[in-house]
This record gives sequence, C-alpha cells and structure tokens, in this order.
Amino acid sequence: MTITGTTPTPRRARTRYDERMYALMNRREGAPLYATAGRRRAVVVAHVLLTVASLAAVFSALATATVWLSFLPLVLLLPWCMATGVINASTRGLLELRTRVLDERQLAERDRVRALAHRLTTYVLLCAVAGGIVVGELGGLTVGGVVLPVLISALAMHWLMPLWVAGMTAQDEPADEMDE
Amino acid sequence: MLRAERKVSRQALADAVGAHYQTIGYIERGQYNPSLDLALRMAEFFELPVEALFSLRPFRPLTDEVYGRKQ
Repeated sequence: MTITGTTPTPRRARTRYDERMYALMNRREGAPLYATAGRRRAVVVAHVLLTVASLAAVFSALATATVWLSFLPLVLLLPWCMATGVINASTRGLLELRTRVLDERQLAERDRVRALAHRLTTYVLLCAVAGGIVVGELGGLTVGGVVLPVLISALAMHWLMPLWVAGMTAQDEPADEMDE
Repeated sequence: MLRAERKVSRQALADAVGAHYQTIGYIERGQYNPSLDLALRMAEFFELPVEALFSLRPFRPLTDEVYGRKQ
C-alpha cells in the first residue's frame, strides 16, 4: 500500500527453503488427525506428556547413572516428532515458518499465541517459585542454594522482558503538521 | 458471495493477493478484518472499489437489493 508521501516497505523474497517449508506445512495428508478440536487437544496433551517423560528420563538417567533410562528419550523421540508434526500441520506452520512466509492474519495469530504462551509461562514460573518457597519453609526441605535465586531471577526476567523490549523499541511521537 | 459468483477459488484469490487461503475464509466469515493494504489488493483483484467489498455496516441481502425490499 502506498500512502501519499511514503514508500512501502518491501517484503523479503522467499527462499527455496521457505517455499519447501511452506509446502510441507500446508500438506493435507494428515488432516484427519487434527480435523476436530478434540483431536487437536489430544495431540497437544500427548506432546506435553511425551516431553515431560523425555525430560524426566534424562534427569533420572543423569541422577542415577541408569543406562536404560538414557535410551528412553530416544525411544520417545519418534512419537514426539510425529506429535510435533501434527501440531505444526494443524497450525499450518504458524510457529515454524519464517515471518516473510506468513500473511498478516497469521502474523497477528502468531503474536496472540506467543502473548498467551508468555503469560502461561509466567504463571508456571510463579508457581515454581512459590512451590520452592513453600517446600523450603514448610516442608523443611532445602531447595538447592542457587536454585531458588535462579528461579526468581528467571521469573522476573520473563515477566519484565516484554516491558523492557517495548520500551526500547517505542517510536518517537510523529510531528503533527498542524503544530508547525 | 462475490468470490463464488466470479467462480474464483479461495486458493486462487489467496495467491493473487498474497495471503493464505485460510485467511480468505476468515475474512469471508467475518472472523478477521483485513488491513487496508489487503483490502485494497482484494478490491484491485475484483476490479471493484474497496467499499463494494467491505463496509462498516452489514451489506443488505442480495434478495432485498434485487426485489427492492426495505428492511
């Protein structure tokens, strides 16, 4: 769009990688897997469980030096990748494709998703901090020396980073010709 | 609907105006308001003024227009 006195900002051209990824994310073969809201929710729940199980297996393997536990994440990797693919296909690559490939509605949708995800992560970190304090105070268990400060710092950073970024990227007030 | 009347698929319109085919569906269902830029590109595609495609108020049903009914 050209407004009198301005030049439109050119959009960066799509690369072959962009085209390939766009085609991949818009393939319809797996559509029955995410055709209904119920199926999409089930896939997301499965993805969350697979992620938690993989992380738990890694942490347990490190803590106990159990060999078979260290292979469990590899076994879970295939279903995890499949679930990731289904979620990406259901969103048509909303979080996977580059900005230049998405249209204005998809960019607005991506911003909305990220804002919601950011808010949810803030609550999760807040719960983790509160849990750490409660466990330390009431449970009599000592949360590792640096764990709680690191967790609180991560929460503060996560909570305030959007404010800092917004402040740093705020634009100058445009001059009104009528004032001149 | 103008797109169906002109026998243009969502994909063809989306390709012509540089949008995703789902976005065309969102606009047609009134679930997304396009930017002025996209609205102008759609109007250009149909060779119509933008106000023939988009309005602040709901369009009158075509039957009312044709038969001159008053709402």
